[in-house]
Amino acid sequence: MQRRALIGIALAIVLYALVPLAFAGNLYLMSMIVAALTIGGVALAWALLGNLGGLVSFGHAAFFGVGSYASALLVMKAGWPIGGSLIAGGVCAALAAVLVLPALRLRGPYFALAVLAYAHIFRIIATEWKGLTNGAGGIGNIPRFPVVFGYDFASKTGGYWIVLSLVLAFAAIYAWVRDSHAGLALRAMQHSEDATRAVGVNSQFLKALMLFLSAFMTGVMGAFNAHYINFLEPDYAFSGLWTMLPIVAAIFGGYRTITGPLIGAVVVYLLDQLVFKALMPIGHQIVLGALLGAMILFAPEGLLSLFRRRRLQQGGVPAAASRNA
Amino acid sequence: MTELVLQALWSGILTGSSYALIALGLALIFGTMNVINLAHGELVLLAAYVAYTCESAFGASPLLAIPVAIVIVCVAMALTYLLVSRIRANRELNSLLLTYGIGVMLTNGMLLLWKADIRSTKSAWLQDAVVLGPFYSMRSELLFFLVSVVLIAGLWWWLTRTWAGRAVRAVASNREAAKLMGIDPHRVELVSFLVAGLLAAFAGAAIFSFGVIQPALGTSLTIKAFVITVLAGMGSVPGVLVGAVLLGITESLTTTFASSALQELAGMVLFLFVLFVLPNGLFGTRWRH
Repeated sequence: MQRRALIGIALAIVLYALVPLAFAGNLYLMSMIVAALTIGGVALAWALLGNLGGLVSFGHAAFFGVGSYASALLVMKAGWPIGGSLIAGGVCAALAAVLVLPALRLRGPYFALAVLAYAHIFRIIATEWKGLTNGAGGIGNIPRFPVVFGYDFASKTGGYWIVLSLVLAFAAIYAWVRDSHAGLALRAMQHSEDATRAVGVNSQFLKALMLFLSAFMTGVMGAFNAHYINFLEPDYAFSGLWTMLPIVAAIFGGYRTITGPLIGAVVVYLLDQLVFKALMPIGHQIVLGALLGAMILFAPEGLLSLFRRRRLQQGGVPAAASRNA
Repeated sequence: MTELVLQALWSGILTGSSYALIALGLALIFGTMNVINLAHGELVLLAAYVAYTCESAFGASPLLAIPVAIVIVCVAMALTYLLVSRIRANRELNSLLLTYGIGVMLTNGMLLLWKADIRSTKSAWLQDAVVLGPFYSMRSELLFFLVSVVLIAGLWWWLTRTWAGRAVRAVASNREAAKLMGIDPHRVELVSFLVAGLLAAFAGAAIFSFGVIQPALGTSLTIKAFVITVLAGMGSVPGVLVGAVLLGITESLTTTFASSALQELAGMVLFLFVLFVLPNGLFGTRWRH
């Protein structure tokens, strides 16, 4: 236990202090890392829905976009403070998820497609509701993060600290839910939903809760991104990329783990932006599509769990692996 | 007013017939393999770009591109099948992710080859107006309507009258029993992908001939096909036809009376309505819990 605490403290120092110290001079790289963590947060939310809720979503862009617009508009039109608007962005995304509820009645593949259609609907609404969102023209000059205790959180490093804290908080919530009674019931549902219902678990209710939680997290990430980028337009906020990149990241890292989607997001996004994009400026995401396909065919549990399994075979501690199951 | 409505109905039926080709392919693959091909719209779009290349690079009519498109799309479909059939665990959900990945590859590949620009046919012959009584349409719309009717009739005949078509239906309705009757389900699955590819190739040429294409269109074609199958209820060929025409009519009515920007939204509203009110679709019973 003590060793775990030490590792945690060391990791916190590295993440909060050393990473900014090492890269703060390189604004481009720093902004890449912030974007990677933003995608990591969405990937985590997506994986939570997939791992605990057993639902695959192709429409997380909808929640991301709703969260970003809600937060930006609350701050600009209703005068909310930015911290509160981040939470409100998440709540609005969760409310948007209420509209997805009827799709929960559908079997697995149909749910996935229904959510894809929902994402489409939200993008069209954001484009056409010009009175609220200024339509395709977008919203500029979205207020930045404020100066707190003399530190300007609108800077790249400030943004990094905020997004890192959000992502770590989400990871903690995820771990807490997974180890709770609800998490136990949800894991039991993966094996047999009927048997779990028979012992008195309201499976639809728990799935809906996971959907709300996942949408909330995604909405908060969207809200963060709105104030960090300071500009929104429907094609950007609701872009399919906010669905595609988290999926590739979560599958790459292993969507049944908590660290997998985060590490996957950093690796996949940095590779995409720094390597593939340099090699071919247009259409570089073709590599990500191929990566997703290859992962599904050869390592559907993710690369991290592949390593973990190998370590296990070489005599690692089984308890360490089963914690992440 | 009545004329406008009638005209919108007519246009809706014409475009709906092409949507039906796309949705039938999606439904066919789902029927035999229980796999939703999320790359379906992208494969239709690929055919459309083949037609575009044929016209812009060789000056040939998009119609002449159809045989080439059939070959290319069917090869792509066969590859998709080969990959999907290699999935071992949890095929229902993993096939979604795999075909989604294939869709991403296709979209970006098309972006790479044909750029993000919006393309449409330059053939005046295809775009000429044709007047049938009170109804106006482009020649291409009418032409591909007739082609679709022939193809759908052919598909109907194939599914009900030929051995291979009956095998497809047998596997769709009961895979194990079909195996006992000496049907190789893998072969049937491949055949369903190829037939879907054939339909997709015609649909792609149609969409290029009377509409505009760009690489991002693929997803919205997949969604349209999905909306139609939800309208139809799974496993119902007449349902798909009615659903497709209904979607086409909804879109054209919206374009006529509101704006073309809202046309996709109208289709979605129809979709939500069915999801809330008729969760089994208009004709189906099988696809719910």
